[in-house]
Order: sequence, then structure tokens, then C-alpha cells
Amino acid sequence: MTLRTEGLRKAFGGVVALDGADVEFLPGKVNALIGPNGSGKTTFFNCVTGMIKPDEGRIFFGERDLTGRAPHVVARAGVGRTFQLCRVFPRMTAVENVLAAVRPGGLLRGLRSAHRRSEIERAHNWLTRLGIEHLAEAEARNLSWGQQKLLELAGVLMGEPQTILLDEPAGGVNPALLDRIGTLVRELNSEGRTFVIVEHNMDLVMSISDHIVVFDRGRPIAAGPPERIRTDERVLGAYLGV
Amino acid sequence: MPNASDAASTPAAEQPSGAAPTPAAQPSHAALPSGAAPTPAAAQPSEAAPAPGAASSFRTPSNWLPLGAAALLIVAILVFPSLAPNPYILSTGVIVLNWAVLATAWNFVGGFTGYISLGHGALAGLGGYATGLLVAKADMPSFVALVVAALLVAALAIPIGFAALRVRGASFVIVSIALVLILLLVFQSWSSVTGGSRGLVVPRPFPGMLRPEHHRVFFFLYGGLLLLALLTWWLLDRSRFGMGLKAIREDEDKAESLGTPTFAYKLTVFVISAAFTALAGGLYALWFGDLDPVFQFSVLTGSYIVLMALLGGVRNLFGPLLGALVVGIALEYFKVEFGNSPLHLVTTGLLLGLVVMFMPDGVIPSLTALVQRLRNREASSIREVTAADLAEQRRREQEGVNS
Amino acid sequence: MPSGALLFQSIILGLLLGGLYALLAAGLTLYFGIMRVVMIAHSAFLILAAYLAWWTHSRLGIDPLLSMVVTVPLFFGAGVLLQRGLLSRLRPATLTMMSVLITFAIALCIEGLLGYAFSGTQRRIQLGYGTASFDLFGARVAVVKLIAFGLATVSLAALYLLMKRTQFGWALRATIQHRDAARLVGIDTERTAGFGFGLGLATAAIGGTALALDTTIYPSLHWHWIGPLMAIIVVGGLGSVAGAAAAALLLGLAQSLLQIPMGATWAQTVFYVALFATLAVRPQGFFGGRLAQRF
Repeated sequence: MTLRTEGLRKAFGGVVALDGADVEFLPGKVNALIGPNGSGKTTFFNCVTGMIKPDEGRIFFGERDLTGRAPHVVARAGVGRTFQLCRVFPRMTAVENVLAAVRPGGLLRGLRSAHRRSEIERAHNWLTRLGIEHLAEAEARNLSWGQQKLLELAGVLMGEPQTILLDEPAGGVNPALLDRIGTLVRELNSEGRTFVIVEHNMDLVMSISDHIVVFDRGRPIAAGPPERIRTDERVLGAYLGV
Repeated sequence: MPNASDAASTPAAEQPSGAAPTPAAQPSHAALPSGAAPTPAAAQPSEAAPAPGAASSFRTPSNWLPLGAAALLIVAILVFPSLAPNPYILSTGVIVLNWAVLATAWNFVGGFTGYISLGHGALAGLGGYATGLLVAKADMPSFVALVVAALLVAALAIPIGFAALRVRGASFVIVSIALVLILLLVFQSWSSVTGGSRGLVVPRPFPGMLRPEHHRVFFFLYGGLLLLALLTWWLLDRSRFGMGLKAIREDEDKAESLGTPTFAYKLTVFVISAAFTALAGGLYALWFGDLDPVFQFSVLTGSYIVLMALLGGVRNLFGPLLGALVVGIALEYFKVEFGNSPLHLVTTGLLLGLVVMFMPDGVIPSLTALVQRLRNREASSIREVTAADLAEQRRREQEGVNS
Repeated sequence: MPSGALLFQSIILGLLLGGLYALLAAGLTLYFGIMRVVMIAHSAFLILAAYLAWWTHSRLGIDPLLSMVVTVPLFFGAGVLLQRGLLSRLRPATLTMMSVLITFAIALCIEGLLGYAFSGTQRRIQLGYGTASFDLFGARVAVVKLIAFGLATVSLAALYLLMKRTQFGWALRATIQHRDAARLVGIDTERTAGFGFGLGLATAAIGGTALALDTTIYPSLHWHWIGPLMAIIVVGGLGSVAGAAAAALLLGLAQSLLQIPMGATWAQTVFYVALFATLAVRPQGFFGGRLAQRF
């Protein structure tokens, strides 16, 4: 399913954060969203995931119109996200953090135990996959920054999203973990998940993405495979201010 | 990087329970100023690894502890009326149980979602008046009226919750306090229906029953209601629904982004809480038989409830009950010793302030944490070898990373 | 149908009352802007100031207005202490909820201490000019009401100038709008926040003195004020001083006009109706209020 936007616009007071953004991400690929600070990347994420309502424009996921829908509706439609300053539930254990992403369908199913064996197993599987299984019973606030980032991703994956939006996955992360995250994204992508990544670390972006969208002043100015973006003059201009 | 990871793993080696690898070195990121660069801590997952077995074995007691406590509670409720030396003590028991139900009902909202309501006293008052009016004016049988009143209050809680819960935190508190103030105003002024300041006399459900017997019956009724509330709380606590509510308490945006319909969840649990609160208020009306707006819609009721729940600990099933025992008994004691003096307010205010400032998690959790710390101090001396092992292991890993 | 004169009189009285509401709501808005704190004790301090004014007059025989010489600096200091000593020590994650409890607890303490010191008896200042009134296009306006309104207007204007024209006001507005950015440009946001709270509490001192001039006071009176004030800041859009002032005038006027057909008690419900309606229909308030969307 394709995630795309049409003419997305959002202004905060007089500041125009998104200025008619038409973006289409390639399904089944690793997409990257780059651009200088303040170019509207995070606002774009927040609009797409329903955290803020756009002033104008539409958001589609496949055939479905997600414009102005609440964040949980977007998540249930199959678009998961992480946050720039990664967010976990600080006083829940790691495994509970992952279990919290399980969706009850309807009230009666919501009254089922949250600790069903099959789901606990799935949660542990994700923790194992991300290499933090040994911390399953530790409270999330006691994990290191990098561990929290992995835990946040585990929670998102538990919801089985088809498309995953990562907001600065490399932020504040050491080189060893950076490699792991890159490999993970590639692996998860090869299993059929679409990724959209906002990232400043160009090494990571160039090495893992198939398709790059460059933002400047609230709208995309270029899109294409890494090798083309690397040499695009408009992109260089936006970054260097020429 | 070695510095960061050293600092990170040292406390972990001393804490076999599996908690707290990095409290000092890694500030909780909620405290980070947004926009500031987070500390890039070592994220090598295998570092500071506590034995998983230790962690899970520590959690097992929590499975039978509630059952044992529940059994103890049932026995206590069954035995207390026969042990009570006089009807006064028995009536105090009824009052304390009333507080316990109110605090437990409050904890459906306060404990699960972290939204603090100062207006639950008004919901109880509303339940009381609804029950009383249905009995006195509509000639409904007492206990049918009680249930109908609770349903009415629950229905009324939907629009109230709708206004209060659509936006975050502050509005909820404002609405909860406003609820008390407006209901006091209405019930005092609308005297043709509510009796106004003259009060409302509620016919007794068991005419002719002697006073001690009356207290005993209501003690058991309250006991049953308390058990029902505790059971419901326990079931929710274990459910997916409860998991979503707790996620809201921790981080509402995050819960929403993981697919939890936060508004619907908050509203549902608020309505459940209102229903239990109204039941307690209705029972009070039937038991006491006389309602006065000044007491039914007093801001103090709400603050006592909050004090009880916070004191006992909002994350625990039995926390509010314990808080109700302590505060409820203290309230009765002070009423007998000193009468109704304005210093009650000062004491309540001071206690509330102290709990919020120094024990926001409640007394039970603070004590548990203290015991655990003492126990860990012993444990760490026994596990010194293991700690040394861990250090060794860490060094080896570091070399692995650096090479 | 009420006579034109009565209507006019009500409008005048409503505007005079609205001025006092506006001043007090400005204080509440300041606290909320600075720390996202709903300061329940604001009106308790208001009543405390009113009691101090009454006490100054009845025990020392001095004009109650002079009590402000002491209460305004005193309350300013109390506000700074409250922010630095209590509120800034709360965990940021639960600040909004816990600060409500702390300020609620303070309100209880003040009410209890007032009851203990002065008993629950209703008190009223008997002033020489207390019954004096003058004629304004057929409406009778009590001099004390006009003094109260004057106090409120002058203080609001002073607050406005302070916020717009001074270095401190600039720092305070920067702290309210974006704390981290303010810190980055070298503003000591902690100290500024403390002074902001002092300023907010100083409005309670002035408002309390104005209130004491023509109102019967008793310790639990503050509950009758905090409800309307909270409604005003929500209707105005949490965090917006101008919005709060507009809502204060509007609701003060509405209350005064509704008193004609409904009587004083029922007229008070207009605040709560407005509060619920605002939250249900437009939770961000009707007069701007950028912060309100998230709180």
C-alpha cells in the first residue's frame, strides 16, 4: 500500500511549516525524508500520523483517506511511527511496553487478559529479534538511550504495521548500534515492510534507502534514488544555502 | 564510550532484581529539555545484563499476594461486626468502608490513567441524592433506586467526561472542581426538589430494624461493594484495556500512536468509576437517611478521597483501601477528639502537600522500595563474585567493541 | 421586562465586576503560561488579602487600601517562594496534575488558618465612604465599586506595560512562549518563572483588597471565586491574557444581566455553563490561546 500526500499545508501562526507538500513513498522500499533543519520533516510526520491536523491537503494510505483521522486510527490502518526523542512508557517493563501495542478489538476482547501466552511469546520474540530480550523485565526508564530506541521499535513492530515511520533513528546512538539499526531496517524491509525514515546522518541514509525525498521550506524539492540525490544541485543548494 | 558504559553497569551489578541499571548516568528522558541532545549512552544490548531468571522469580509473589490479601479482607469484613464492641464502632466501620469504596472507585481513573479528579465527592453526592429522590419522591424500592441512580450518574458522566477528557490534564481537573461547585449551587438553590439546605430525608430501606442491626447489614453491603470494585479493578488491571489505560498514564501521545483509542478508553473508565462512586453515595443515603448539600457536595470529600488513594498508592490494587483505613479512621478519631475545627483543613492540606512532594507514589510503594533497597544491600554482598564476573565480562565485551 | 435604567445599571455593574475578574484571571493565566499550572490557591490568596485588608481597617483603623503596601510585596515574595520551593521541584511528567494538588492543599491550609484565626463569622469593612454612590446617566454606582474597578484597571495596565516594555517582561514572555529557546538566549528561566509567579500572586493581593471594600468575606469564600476564574481562563483560551480579559468582561456582564431574571445564585451558573460548553465545543477557547490545544 502506498503512503502519499496531496498538497499538505500547515502553518503555526505566521510560520508556514508545510507548504503544499505532494509526496509519494515507494511501497515495499526504504524511503528517506531529508532536508535542512526546519524544512518541515517532523511536521510532515506529525500530520501524516494524525498528531496534528493539516490546514489543507489530503493523506492517503492505499485507497484509504487518512486526512484528519486520530493517531490511533492511522496506527490501526497500518502506519506505525517512532518519535524523535524516543518515547517509551517509563514505568512499565520492557515486555509490557511491547504488549501495550496489542490492539483489543471491541470492548469484550479488550477485557481479555493482557498477558495471554501467545502475545507474550510474540512480545518476547520481538525483544529477542532486537537484542534486548534479557531486559524484558526491567522498567523502561532504567534502560540506556539506545536500548530505549530499540524498545520503542519493538513496540511499533508488535502492532504489525505495514509502513513504519522512523523519526531520526540514528539520533544519539553509538556507531555499533547505528550499524545494527541499519541492518535491522534492511532485514525488516526485506520481509515486506515499507520504511520512511527522517534522518540527518547521511551515511545511514545513503547506505540503507532506496528512495530519497528532499524537503526544503515545507515542500519536496527533489526525489529519487540515493545516487541521483547525491548529485542533485537543488539539494546541495538547500543544504548549503546557495 | 568506556566511561558511559562503566557508569551504566556498576549499579546494575549491585542490583540483581533486574531493575535500575542506569538511574544516575542516564536521566529519564522525560526530564530532558526537548531539543537538547540526548546523552549518547552505550547501547550495547548485552552490557549490564541482569540474569533474567532473577527478575522473573522476583515477580512471582505478586501473583498470590493479591489473593492472600483478598482472603484476609473477606475474613476481616465477615468478622468485624461480631468483634465491634459497640454500635458506634460498627458505624465507624461503615464510614471507613464507604471511604474505601470511594477511594477504590476513584482509582479507576486516577490509578489507571493518571488523571486526578477532585470532583468524585460530587459524583457520590449525586448518587446519594438520586437514590434518595427516587425513593422519597418516586416511591421506588430502595435497592432498585440505588441501581437506577448509579446508572443515571453513569449516563451523566458521559457528557461530563466528554467535556473534561477531550483535552489533556488541566481541563479535567478544572471540570472536576467545577462539578462540585456547580452541584452545590444547584442543590442548595433548587430547594423545591432537593429540600435545599433543609436537607433531604431518605426513607429507611428496612423500617423497624434496630440500629446495630442496621449498621451490620450496611457494613456487609459496603463490604460486598468494595469486593466488587476491587475485583473489577483487578480484572481491568490484567486486561488489554487496562494495559492501554496504563499506557495513557505513562505517555498519552505514545499510546495513541501505538493504536490505543485514548479518548474512548478514558471516557469508558471514567464512566465505570462514576458508577461505583454513585453506588457508594447511594448506599450512604440509604444508610444515613439524611442528605445535606453542604456535605454531599463538599470539595473536602474529593480531597479526602485523593489523599487516601495517593497515600496508599495509586498503582496498587489495595493502595486506596489502605489509605482509606488510615485516613478514614484518623478523620473519625479527630472528629471525636477535637470536633469540627478549621484545623482539619490545615491538616488535610499539609498531609496532601507532603504526600505529593515526597511520596507521589504512595506510602506502600515507598516502603516497598525501602525494603527492597535494604534487601539489595544484603544481596550485593553475597553476590560480590557475580559482580566481579560481570565486570570481567564487560571488559571483554568492550574490547570486542573497540577492536 | 426590566426597565431601561435597571438594565443600564446591571451593565455598569457587570463591567465593573468584569474588571476585577480580568485582573484575577490575568494572574491565573500567568501561572498557566509559565508552568502549565492551574493554581487553585489563587483565590484563597485573594481572600487572604481581603482578610488582611479587613484586619488592617478594623484593628489598626487604617484605610484598607493602605494594606496593599504590605500585602503586595508580601504576596510577591510568597509567589516566588511557591514556585521555587514547591512547584519547580515536582517531576515534569506529572507536573500539571501534582501542581493542582499542591495548590489545592495550599488553598485548604489558607482556608483553615483563616477560619482558625478569624473564625467562620462573616466580616465586612465599614467604611466612611462605603455607602457613598453617585449618579451616572441614571445608574447608581457605589464609589467603592468604582475604586475596585480603578484598582483593577490600573494594575492590568501596569502589568501590560511591564510585559511589553521592560526587560523583565520580555524575558517573561520569552519564557512563556518557548522555555528552551529562552534559555538558549541567556534568560535565567527559573528566576524569571519565579518572578512571574510573584507577579501573579501580587494581582491576588490587589484584587483581594479591592474585593474587601464592598464584599462580605468568610474563609470558604474562595471556592466561589476559583470556579468562575477557572471558567474564564478556559473560555478565554488557557494561556492567553487578552483572551482571559475578554472572557472576564463578557462573563461578568452576563452574570450581572442574568441576575435580573434569575437571582444572584442561579446567575453564577453562567460560568459553569460557559466552561462546559467551551470544553465540549471548542476546547482551545474562544479567544486564541495557542497553548490550550494540548492541555
